[in-house]
Amino acid sequence: MKTVERAQPASELRSPDVVMRLARLGSLHQSRLSFMRVLLRRMKRETWTFDRPVFEIDANGVGTAVYSAHGPEHSYSLVAFAHDLPADQRSDRVIAEAWDATFTLFDGVPTEDDIERLSWNVPKQEAGRITASELSLSRANRSVRLFDHVVKRLAAGQQPDEEQVEAVGYLMRTTAVYGSGKFGAADREAICDRPEFRCPFQVEMLSVFLTRAFVLDLVEHLARCRSPETAVVIEPARRRRFGIGNSTGLGMAPFLVSHPMLINNWIVCRETALARVRGLAKASVDEKTLFKTMVSRAKRNADLWRSEHSLQIQKVTMLKADLAHLEAHLAAGCLEGEAPWDRLYRWAEDNLSIEGQEQLASLMLEPYGALVDDLADAMCADEDSAFRIDGSMRLDELRKILDEVYGFALAIDWTSPDSQARVWYVSEEKLEPRLGERFEEPIEPYEQPLAPGRDAVGMAHDIDKWEGEPSVAAFLLAHPEHRHIARRAQIAKKLPYAEIRDNTISSALLPIDLLRCKLSFFGATHFDPRSDRWVRINMFKGAPFPHEVATVATGDSVDFADGDDWCYPPLPEVAT
Amino acid sequence: MSFSLNEIEAMGKRAARGAGLPWGLAEEAGKAARWLTARGLPGASLLADILSRNDKHDYGELAPVDVDGVWQAPAGRLCPLIAGAALCDRAAEIAGGRVIELGETAQPLLLLPYVAGAVKLTGATIAIAWGDLVVTLSPDGESIEGDRSALTARSAECVHCRPAVPVDAPADPAAQVNELAVPVDAASWSRLAAFAQRIFAPATEASRLAGAGAGLSDNN
Repeated sequence: MKTVERAQPASELRSPDVVMRLARLGSLHQSRLSFMRVLLRRMKRETWTFDRPVFEIDANGVGTAVYSAHGPEHSYSLVAFAHDLPADQRSDRVIAEAWDATFTLFDGVPTEDDIERLSWNVPKQEAGRITASELSLSRANRSVRLFDHVVKRLAAGQQPDEEQVEAVGYLMRTTAVYGSGKFGAADREAICDRPEFRCPFQVEMLSVFLTRAFVLDLVEHLARCRSPETAVVIEPARRRRFGIGNSTGLGMAPFLVSHPMLINNWIVCRETALARVRGLAKASVDEKTLFKTMVSRAKRNADLWRSEHSLQIQKVTMLKADLAHLEAHLAAGCLEGEAPWDRLYRWAEDNLSIEGQEQLASLMLEPYGALVDDLADAMCADEDSAFRIDGSMRLDELRKILDEVYGFALAIDWTSPDSQARVWYVSEEKLEPRLGERFEEPIEPYEQPLAPGRDAVGMAHDIDKWEGEPSVAAFLLAHPEHRHIARRAQIAKKLPYAEIRDNTISSALLPIDLLRCKLSFFGATHFDPRSDRWVRINMFKGAPFPHEVATVATGDSVDFADGDDWCYPPLPEVAT
Repeated sequence: MSFSLNEIEAMGKRAARGAGLPWGLAEEAGKAARWLTARGLPGASLLADILSRNDKHDYGELAPVDVDGVWQAPAGRLCPLIAGAALCDRAAEIAGGRVIELGETAQPLLLLPYVAGAVKLTGATIAIAWGDLVVTLSPDGESIEGDRSALTARSAECVHCRPAVPVDAPADPAAQVNELAVPVDAASWSRLAAFAQRIFAPATEASRLAGAGAGLSDNN
């Protein structure tokens, strides 16, 4: 691996007051530090091998399959159960009770007895039980639009229609991928010492990566069953254009607020990567060429980005204009001379939309794997280490943190109904997380603690009135209702990006901003909101399949030594 | 049934909140159930016991009044979920040499995870004692001396918490952290689930349609 000499100290990280705003978090793009890319780089580097010990699926698409991945120390197997789901039962919501396919990621290679046990539980999802031998639980539904089309075309000996493939992007979309101890699965703490699971969400990403392989095999199998004489498989480059979809509702939104240390570490790593690149004194010819190619490919990605949601259509339109503007700026030679990346980023601040600025921030990392990829190891968090409140802190110090971190909230008029219009709550119906209207529905008693801004202001008022012993310990003994926000504030004091610096219960809140932030760190592309609180995305679109991880160059003429450029589509003129 | 530690923590937090504790204390109660369970101790059932015992009681009746002298609750028995949090908040004072005496305390075993938190915050070794039992918690683990049957006492007349010298090689089985699924008796789990149920909003058609906002058709 080549090393990059840092010619000058990394520039400063962007301020949390800039980064931790919902509008910006809702404009993030995947990058080299996204969890899918981290997983694929590892599998390639460590020469993982893959096999399919079981594939017993009938002509109706019902049966069982097992996909195993073998790393240096451990093997993992996706156990897939394919079902015949009546169309009227198909729903992406948590409240669904049946799916087209259900999955678990097994720790090792399952025996027949394991598969038998799992067959009684995995298809029931939340209503079943798994064990510490399983690492995840998930399900997926077909994209009715595309699935039937592809089976029909393949059975007739034809390739799927490219436009239809691009319009949807996937054959199935997962609707929940549960990990970390849910429904009896192994706790994250039990496996996070394994190098392959150090980076967050690697279990979930591995599960989805193998799910994609299963779904493509399934569709080709069904075509073969329908017409053994004429059926064909999908041509490899075209096959890679299928990702796996994901349909995500509000369940993911509270996660970012509930895991302040984790979100801090993700953002710190991305910001550090950006600062390292901005700190470079010069860009080499190769680096400039590669960057320009990736800008063109990002432009193509924006061209292929479909959404019916008015806000997203507007954002994609701005992104396209921004990328065109960026290309023109590049053509004018902006990368020549000293500190080219810092100058480019500063130019973007003045000339591009937030969507465009964040796309640029991700793109700037592309030529610099050797400089930034190591940061992926710092994205995990030992959340226990920051859990305990420091009661010995002086109360005026806690009050000062409120001014520094929650200044945005202190400036809000909390007596206005709009400022507190929403309530985050959990329905007893399959424990589906929901967002309600505080002044219209009887849901306030069920409110979840997901409004740090409001809570910080409440605590500030009580601190200002406090006349007792001036310690956090004494104050919290008298005001236990502030323990939650006191803990957060102390975490935020140590970790600058721990807190979202916006009102999370205002009438103007767009929950999709929270969803997109998290999904971008997964590595998702093609965000397609279905409402203000529901989004569909594509995962692993363009990625190699398991059997291709070691060998396939997914890029184009530019040499990507690590093969890690699959997440931007190839340019039309070099596409095969 | 067997549960993962994450499930026990999540259930403990929801149950404690359902029983009326503020969110911050509920978060710590969930951690406490997890910490004990990971060491083979009955964290979930003790939590179910204390929540049942103190259900409908106000915080003020169960919390220590005068924290400069002996800690005592107006209602008679201190709640370990409240007193534990207050103890942990005084971690630096204990590490600095202060001995804290608690009067009558319910389910004193539930104090341990909070003392462990104080150890984590300060790096000090701290001993907690009631009846004929002394539990010493250090950054390297825990050791138990004396009458083990007192571990699960329903209450203690008084509890002392003081700095201590580290014990060599804490080899007690209770210090072996279990990371696999752990059994919890069905009755305790049901009691916790009943408390947890109180924090979930009743299902209504309006909430079903609007609250999750799936929006456009999700069957396409």
